[in-house]
Amino acid sequence: MAGRGKLIAVIGDEDTVTGFLLGGIGELNKNRKPNFLVVEKDTSITEIEETFKSFLARNDIAIILINQFIAEMIRHAIDAHMQSIPAVLEIPSKEHPYDASKDSILRRAKGMFSAEDFR
Amino acid sequence: MGLSEGEESCLLLDEKLLRFMDQLELLQEKRNTLNSLIEQGWFSISKARYSMGNKQVSALQFANTMEPLVSVHVRTLDNDDVEFSTEKSPPEFSNGSVKEPILIEDIGPQEEGIRRRKKTKSDGTEKRESRGTGSEMDPEVNPVRKGGHNPHQDPLKWFGILVPQSLKQAQSSFKQVIELSAEIAALQIAVLNTRQELKHDLRNQESSDGAELNVSTGSKKEAEVPLTNKS
Repeated sequence: MAGRGKLIAVIGDEDTVTGFLLGGIGELNKNRKPNFLVVEKDTSITEIEETFKSFLARNDIAIILINQFIAEMIRHAIDAHMQSIPAVLEIPSKEHPYDASKDSILRRAKGMFSAEDFR
Repeated sequence: MGLSEGEESCLLLDEKLLRFMDQLELLQEKRNTLNSLIEQGWFSISKARYSMGNKQVSALQFANTMEPLVSVHVRTLDNDDVEFSTEKSPPEFSNGSVKEPILIEDIGPQEEGIRRRKKTKSDGTEKRESRGTGSEMDPEVNPVRKGGHNPHQDPLKWFGILVPQSLKQAQSSFKQVIELSAEIAALQIAVLNTRQELKHDLRNQESSDGAELNVSTGSKKEAEVPLTNKS
């Protein structure tokens, strides 16, 4: 195959991850590293952040889907990611509906209309 | 009737701003669709959980080996925008992964052949022959091939053979979500790029305006000098 397709990674609660894996995005690579992380109540923020960073470092991942409430926990890491690939997409979760004002990308875009940007 | 340079650049800026607004609107629309599709998916998963039992639809049911059935092809366009296109691998084995499963399947008939022919020596050449005859004579191999444990199997089967309709509905809505999320990711990048362009152009415009203003005030002063001399 000339150019192998890239993967979609997901970090989310059980139902979100289950849904996306049902959709067929799941992969366990040769080192048995998955492209998904199920965040439970006892999952530490460090673990989430490390997984997110490891997904960013992998060059076979094109899109990272992350529940917005989890993205809030590691906001600094998401804001620090400026490259276009992998693209980070914040999605809602069962308990937390999507809030556009928290979305990193929309916040960056909204910055366009602040007074400082016109200086 | 020609427009001045300043006016032209203002028009270009307006155009870009309108494009930016259109992109934002489209992004919001797609976001709304994505959110409602995800909600639908969760609802179907919950229904399936209700009919199958609480622990039957959980992370514990995930398979030990998984291969992605959906992949994303990334294409960078001229204006730094990125296009993501999702590609589903067919339910049968895709070209790239044909070899491995067949190798695994070949073990079965091969061993069977050796067991039957106790008289023959167990040479490598014999093995090869028996493999050939086994696959030729055995039309029953095919169902084994289909039913065998392979990483490409439909994720629905992790949850059982006879899964409720609601789980299938969940799968189809999440498949749509995956396609839509690729579109949204591309759109997000486009929005950020347009914003960057717009910001850059605005700065340029401001600096050129400032320069023009300086030049025009300078020439005015020069023009005023001879007038004062005359008087």
